[in-house]
Amino acid sequence: MTLKKGSFVIEELENVQINIGKIGAKEEQIAEGPTPRPEIIGLRNWDYRILDRYNPVYTPTGDTCDYCTYGKCDLTGNKEGACGIDLEGQSARQALMTSIMGAACHSAHGRHLLNYLIKKYGEDFKIDVGPSNLQAPLTETIMGIQPKTIGDFIPVLEYVEEQLTQLIAITNTGQEGSSRDFESKALHAGMLDLLGMEVADIIQISCLGFPKSDEKAPMAEIGMGILDPKKPVVICVGHNIAAPAYILDNMDKNGLFDKIEIAGLCCTAHDMTRYNKTAKIIGSMSKELKYIRSGIPDVLVTDEQCVRADILKEAQKLHIPVIATNEKITYGLPDRSNDSVDEIIDDLVSQKQSGAVLLDFEKIGELVPKLAMKMGAIRKAKGLTALPNDNEFKKLVAKCTKCLQCTKDCPQGLPISDAMTAAVNGDFSLFETLHDKCVGCGRCDYSCPAGIPILNVIEKASQRVIREEKGKMRIGRGQIGDPEIREEGRNLVLGTTPGVLAFVGCGNYPDGTKDVYDIVEEMIQRSYIIISSGCAAMDIGMFKDKEGKTLYERYPGRFVKGNLLNTGSCVSNAHIAATTIKVASIFAGRKTKGNWEEIADYVMNRVGAVGIAWGAYSQKAFAIGTGCNRLGIPVVVGPHGTKYRRAFIGKPYKKDDWNVLDGRDGSVVNVEPAPEHLMITAETKDEVMPLLAKLCFRPSDNSLGRAIKLTHYIELSEKYLKKLPDDWHIYVRNEADLPVAKREPLMKLLEEKGWKIDWEKKKIIEGPLRKVDVSFQPTNVPRLCKEVKK
Amino acid sequence: MTPKAQVMGQNEEKVIDTTRQAVPFNTGNIPGPKMARAVMPAVPGKMLAKAKRPLLIVGSEIDDPDVLARVVMLGKTGIQIASVGDSYKYLGDKGLDAHYMNMHALMSYICDPQWPGLDGKGGYDLVVFFGITYYYASQAISALKNFSKIKVISIDKYYHPNADMSFGNLKKDVFIEALDEVIEQLPK
Ligand code: SF4
Ligand code: SF4
Ligand code: SF4
Repeated sequence: MTLKKGSFVIEELENVQINIGKIGAKEEQIAEGPTPRPEIIGLRNWDYRILDRYNPVYTPTGDTCDYCTYGKCDLTGNKEGACGIDLEGQSARQALMTSIMGAACHSAHGRHLLNYLIKKYGEDFKIDVGPSNLQAPLTETIMGIQPKTIGDFIPVLEYVEEQLTQLIAITNTGQEGSSRDFESKALHAGMLDLLGMEVADIIQISCLGFPKSDEKAPMAEIGMGILDPKKPVVICVGHNIAAPAYILDNMDKNGLFDKIEIAGLCCTAHDMTRYNKTAKIIGSMSKELKYIRSGIPDVLVTDEQCVRADILKEAQKLHIPVIATNEKITYGLPDRSNDSVDEIIDDLVSQKQSGAVLLDFEKIGELVPKLAMKMGAIRKAKGLTALPNDNEFKKLVAKCTKCLQCTKDCPQGLPISDAMTAAVNGDFSLFETLHDKCVGCGRCDYSCPAGIPILNVIEKASQRVIREEKGKMRIGRGQIGDPEIREEGRNLVLGTTPGVLAFVGCGNYPDGTKDVYDIVEEMIQRSYIIISSGCAAMDIGMFKDKEGKTLYERYPGRFVKGNLLNTGSCVSNAHIAATTIKVASIFAGRKTKGNWEEIADYVMNRVGAVGIAWGAYSQKAFAIGTGCNRLGIPVVVGPHGTKYRRAFIGKPYKKDDWNVLDGRDGSVVNVEPAPEHLMITAETKDEVMPLLAKLCFRPSDNSLGRAIKLTHYIELSEKYLKKLPDDWHIYVRNEADLPVAKREPLMKLLEEKGWKIDWEKKKIIEGPLRKVDVSFQPTNVPRLCKEVKK
Repeated sequence: MTPKAQVMGQNEEKVIDTTRQAVPFNTGNIPGPKMARAVMPAVPGKMLAKAKRPLLIVGSEIDDPDVLARVVMLGKTGIQIASVGDSYKYLGDKGLDAHYMNMHALMSYICDPQWPGLDGKGGYDLVVFFGITYYYASQAISALKNFSKIKVISIDKYYHPNADMSFGNLKKDVFIEALDEVIEQLPK
């Protein structure tokens, strides 16, 4: 039989459709599950299962809609607007749009890299991410193919782009009306986001020599105090390594690393260090304005994503030329890609132009170091900085009238006027505390009626702590290798490793970067596996213990309990999600290709992995979280996350919501609420730690695993909330589930709750929701049961 | 010394006006045409006194001793407390009917008529709150504003547009005084 392009269904194999795409050496179409390349409603049944248990909770930031010219419509109290959509529908539509934006960002990043890398290395360049057979877990699970070369990702991105266009169409007025279906589509966008990120990171790891599953990747320096400001300084801002790679190559070739400092802000920094370990990291987006205003950078190189919109404006004031290297951010600058390097440099040095769009990577590589040498000399001689000098500072703080307008405009509500008062009396400590809590947004500058440039004042007062801001971060290792999964998968599924906690996302923390360090330190000491990426991975490395060691120096980077891993930049988040697929595949032998629902069902019921985006701000972070949710991974965000306007919250008091099937015979088993929520916020770090521990429970835990997880849940709650959790007993199935050290007192408490205890045998006779059954095969998908009971 | 005297530093009465500065505490937080009515403390006080099953929600900002003292006084009148964020650590040993809850989950449950409440005795007819991170509370109660019928009153130091009623933005001494006036309305 000759196979032609198209799709066919095999009789008797209900739900199995085999799609034949491009057949040949480039792409192996070997779907094993029913949903390769799922269309927009291809996984809707799975989404409904999620949404029926984890109900969307909407917290609108506004009660009106102004999407079309019928509006503005007042939707307060869930009223309908002129088109018939109500506030619930509109909120769900916003969730979809947010997910689409995030997914588009990562996928467009992937597209930019793919086009560039194919041009440079050819379509047949082999994928190599380290010691793995399952090299592209998300691609396999979603697409049903096993990519071997970077060219194999062409149809993957085409699929993502086509699906995203379909999803964007849905957000137009007069399209979808059901909030449930908007959410199913948002989950689809989230999944596409994971796929786009995987493509982007696999191709850059493969082509650009990034660490490949390297648990011993070297350390990079990080912090606002690491650069020598006397040298010319190049700062790259954004997420895309393509242009900075050429700058690093040029500097390497010409031996310039001793003469010029080069560092990155935001995820570009991650990938610069993955590309060349000599590069350094300043920090997250929160540091952009602070660092530019310090006047230290002599050249700013921008690419894409999380680049502040006012960078050119700010840079201009300090005569820092901006080189925009990506079409997505051009700041109205002239495109100088076809001009000679020397001409461009002349125009920038003479301030004829404040910056240039430059899309020719070779020229960027040549121009930036040269420009830095020239600008460095000029700028340092002039001592250009936006920060006030000591005299100016004294006058500025004395101007504060304590009107509190700045606090009202500050997204963190920071007590700025108190710090001003203290500084008048020579005490800078309040400002130093503010420096870490301040997200560097600059909103306060606009608000002060006395005309105090508040952020500059905070930064001036914090020079002492800024100079000491020198941390270490283990360079992004990329994927978790198959051998590591083989070693650890069992512990995870049985629960004897209490959980995987993924610290991801941005720097919009509710109470400073130190929180993230504190949470990681507490949880890693309890043997959780900590995986990090993006700005969270950077902030973890910013603080030191008494011996002067950062967490990366204290804890190794293997995927085993009590280790701290950094996968890399934002797009390497894909590997964190993909780790759960690897567990399902490598440890449990589940088929991956085109088999999303089964894999996600496995992850949700068995893999104790939780994402925490404590400072999430971007649409990208929301999309990642939503994608993780579709894969069955719960996500917790900080309090600012309520402004994402949608969460997925379980209701433990609704017993029927927690019915699962036993895959052995299809019988219904009422289980404990595990995981209890899929997307939720917490107010403070003290609240979030017990919550994280709780969200690691899974129905598949064996007794030893459950006892370990329960120990941490109880201890964290007692330590940080000063109470035994109200619901601890729900997670007890028999006496062996109880923490060993507290077994008797806890059994007494259970007896007080009406449970029957045989004290002689020290056994629980009656009380638990269900028994422990080591062979239990929890699933939410009826077709996965061997024999479905009628 | 009575709490009021502690604040004033003397035994004289000061008339406070909690309806001033009734603009969203965070300048940009303007949700829409329906924003909270600014009220004097007697209004929430009387409503709390009249409610059959009121719920007081407090959060991480009750760490201030003056504020904490008022939470305890309110709790001692028998009002059930949902202690959100990490606030339980301040309340656990005070002998109150206080229960830890996650704020976000609590909002979801209050919107659900089938929720049995914190103690299994059913839902609530009034929500009053204070001492919660401003933007967090503001966002969370937007769920109640738009997707539930329950009355929500802020007695926090911030003007909360998403509540049905709220104080304006208050300086600390006025805030404490306002809480005392709310407490005065309640049966001892
Ligand atoms: S999209 Fe609908 S609700 Fe929004 S402004 Fe238009 S008519 Fe009104
Ligand atoms: S720059 Fe800092 S202090 Fe100013 S408004 Fe933003 S977070 Fe607040
Ligand atoms: S806005 Fe300006 S004057 Fe007013 S409190 Fe803040 S710093 Fe002081």
